[in-house]
Amino acid sequence: MSDNIAAIQKKMQRKQANTGGDHSVHQITPYEIAALVVLIIIAILFIFPLYWIITGSFKNAQDVIAKVPVWFPLQPTIDNYQRLFARPAVRWLGNTVFLCAMSMALTCVSASMGGYALAKKKFAGRTIVFSIFVCAMALPKQVILIPLLKEMAFLKLHNTLWAVILPTVGWPFGVFLMKQFSETIPESLLEAARIDGAGEARTFVEIVLPIIKPGIGALAIFTFITAWNDYFLQLIMLNDTDVLTISLGIAKLQSELSNDFGLIMAGAALGSIPIIIIFLLFQKFFTRGITMGAVKG
Amino acid sequence: MANFNAVHPEIKVKVQYLDYASGDDQVTTAIEAKTTPDIVMEGPERLVANWGAAGKMLDISDLWADTKDDIIAASPAVEAACKNGEGIYYEYPLCMTTHCMVINYNDFEAAGALQYLDEATHTWTTEGFLNALDALNAAGYQPTAVVYCGGQGGDQGTRALVTNLYSGQFTNADHTAYTMTSEENIKALTLLQTLVNEGKLDADPGIVAGDEIALFCNSTISIGFCWNASAAVSNKASLADDVKVFPMAFPSDDGVPELQGGIWGFGLFDNGDEAKAAAAKTFVKFVCDDPSQAAASVYASGFFPTRASLGDVYAGTDKAENGDYAIFMPFLGDYYQVTPNWAAQRTEWWNLLQRVFAGGDVAAEAAVYEANSNK
Amino acid sequence: MQKTAVQPRQSVAMMQSRRRENIAGYLFMAPSLLFFLGFVVFPMVMCLVYSFTDYTMTSFSFSGFANYQRMFQDAIFGKALWNTIILVLISVPVTCFFSLWAASIISKLHDRTTSFFRCVFYLPVVTGSVAVTVISRNMNWLGDASTALGCIITILLTTSVGQPIVLYVSALNNVDQSLVEAASVDGATNLQTFWRIKWPQIMPTTLYILVITTINSFQCFALIQLLTSGGPNHATETIMYYIYYNAFKLQSYGYGSAMGIILALIIAAFSALQFKVAQTDNG
Repeated sequence: MSDNIAAIQKKMQRKQANTGGDHSVHQITPYEIAALVVLIIIAILFIFPLYWIITGSFKNAQDVIAKVPVWFPLQPTIDNYQRLFARPAVRWLGNTVFLCAMSMALTCVSASMGGYALAKKKFAGRTIVFSIFVCAMALPKQVILIPLLKEMAFLKLHNTLWAVILPTVGWPFGVFLMKQFSETIPESLLEAARIDGAGEARTFVEIVLPIIKPGIGALAIFTFITAWNDYFLQLIMLNDTDVLTISLGIAKLQSELSNDFGLIMAGAALGSIPIIIIFLLFQKFFTRGITMGAVKG
Repeated sequence: MANFNAVHPEIKVKVQYLDYASGDDQVTTAIEAKTTPDIVMEGPERLVANWGAAGKMLDISDLWADTKDDIIAASPAVEAACKNGEGIYYEYPLCMTTHCMVINYNDFEAAGALQYLDEATHTWTTEGFLNALDALNAAGYQPTAVVYCGGQGGDQGTRALVTNLYSGQFTNADHTAYTMTSEENIKALTLLQTLVNEGKLDADPGIVAGDEIALFCNSTISIGFCWNASAAVSNKASLADDVKVFPMAFPSDDGVPELQGGIWGFGLFDNGDEAKAAAAKTFVKFVCDDPSQAAASVYASGFFPTRASLGDVYAGTDKAENGDYAIFMPFLGDYYQVTPNWAAQRTEWWNLLQRVFAGGDVAAEAAVYEANSNK
Repeated sequence: MQKTAVQPRQSVAMMQSRRRENIAGYLFMAPSLLFFLGFVVFPMVMCLVYSFTDYTMTSFSFSGFANYQRMFQDAIFGKALWNTIILVLISVPVTCFFSLWAASIISKLHDRTTSFFRCVFYLPVVTGSVAVTVISRNMNWLGDASTALGCIITILLTTSVGQPIVLYVSALNNVDQSLVEAASVDGATNLQTFWRIKWPQIMPTTLYILVITTINSFQCFALIQLLTSGGPNHATETIMYYIYYNAFKLQSYGYGSAMGIILALIIAAFSALQFKVAQTDNG
């Protein structure tokens, strides 16, 4: 009997805790220990590139290509960073942040509005519009780059950050994700707002936005990371030294006949550490939002 | 740059750099997007053979008027490479270099292999090269060298290696077709294939020239196939303590190498703006020919002047050892990079090497390469 | 009589409300539609148009189906297609299986530890392919035709398991525990519990992961460009890289566009197939 009660209590605790939950009662089997060891080894392999880049960026020119790998720079040097910042690296970083932040803001605004409309507004042609959005998600992005390049040239936007921002915002994933979130808005709330005489704009700002906020958070961080790493689009659209992003800048540090790997590592560190910090800070937001969106799909 | 604005404050110049891996693609996108710069610094293979032939470049023959003789005096090959078949100049050259090989003098000395090369002229014969490989292998300096073929980076080195071994030609004389199936070239490829099979030489389809240079600098290998005056400067800091750089020409059966050249100069994109074009010409003329600037421009590049009148721009400077590489300039060979389909050929080339070193039949694979490149 | 009198008024009201819904709907859709149509759909249509042209840096003329015919005779395209399909067929199941396995382990750990592992596996996604390639450049087996594709797949896996693990961890935590406990009371083994109870419940997550992993694997490009340029001897040529090579290195825009259209169709077919299979699987 008491076992049953305990089980029910546990269940209720779980319900309250929602995700995460308490697993303290769980007994660890030998299989799990073995699996955990394997996972830890794999995890080390996953962390290693980052370790190698960061230590590499402090190695001198000899050590960084040494025949016997130098696992830790015993005579660290900031020479690589000095040479990196002798180039417009700060400018490149600024460009990247602007590009990502702008893509993020525009995506969040347009996708939350569009997702809400697709989920809750029964306008004519809704299903067709939604299917086109879903189909476009399967589209290989790179395929449209040639016409996109022509279009940007026509709009006189080639070689500006907007040439990267606009297609990023147009990408259908955001609308899709926000539609999933908007499905969770109770019809009764919208009905109540309508009876209260609230206009469409007010309903959206006061009722809809608070409910889909976790989704917007997830979308924001997702867009930011995607834009940061979208090397190919940046490569095609940006040429001028003034408008380069940090990833393009890193690529330009490599020259055909020299091996300035120290400089490249410093560039790679500068390019990845800010985004890792951003991810760590907003991690919870991100995992929760992305899961809700996907599981409801 | 600052020098130029001091003399011509009325003209504003903005610089952008192209990286070697995707630089071509970026100019392609710029051409398609019509955001090309006014001036571009490149080699004839692109300025003349690619963009010039596509009608994207301006005819800059007028720049040549008073300097043509000086340039021919430095190298007739340069003058010939900068114009198209109808004699229209698309490039105004600034500097040139020859690509060479490099050996670790210390390794050669220890292995007793120095006797197989001519230290005074920095040349050797094919036979000397083979003997040196044997000596290095016998003394345990393995791997001796790596024929890299993981991509197009630094392919000038592998091309020169193959064509020089038995004095073959990469293309026909009028630069209309690639001639890899010639008897000499087949012989050279077969020799390399044999050397790799016998373990006297490595081939690695996983690395490109930059990686190979790293292996040389950290003293893993004793011979590098991709080197020049500028590489000597840029890799100075990363040399391991036991590496002593000694540049060498590519080995050839007659001992007279035909080295692959690099020519860098300016071309003007046709952006339909005459005032800008005139300003661009003023800039190019200043950089290349102004008495106060020309030598400094060449000095900055680390290469050699294409004007006989400039003499040795490195004498008495802290890049004095660059002057050593001038010894190779007389061996500057045919500038065949202007042959059509150059971009496609480059991909075919490293794929050919990969197939050969994977054990493919040399004659058959060379025929495939030729068929794909001579389209 | 009364009925007929009421009906028109009702339908007027309905029409009005429908019109209001239409206007509001499209007003809300306007910003996203603008970006979507302008910078995704329009280029896509242009891509379709280009695929019927002989379009290079110097020429532009309609050529009918010539590009598509050329594709079927192009041995390298065949090889690229084959490699891409291999890559998808291996990396998709492995990614799904590994992330499910890893998630099943780490979801049982303490919250802190769970979140640590989650971060670590997400790291390559965040830092991007560039960082991974900086260090894997020196791996010797990239040069061997027989191992190169395997190597690319391995690296691709590291950059693609991050999101699936995040998703699976949450999905497993959301599984209805009362059912799991009921099963264990019935004496079911862990494995049985998993297949009978948990697997059906996480099915939507699995489907989502299958689809996004498939799309990502088909579009594998940056790794190829940075690591092998499609070599050795086209052993790692993927369609995506071959498109890039043709379009931006050889300037055959028309041919590149045609291959892009085919690739889009293949991805669509794969995704549809997965939906079909998953639906029948679920009853």
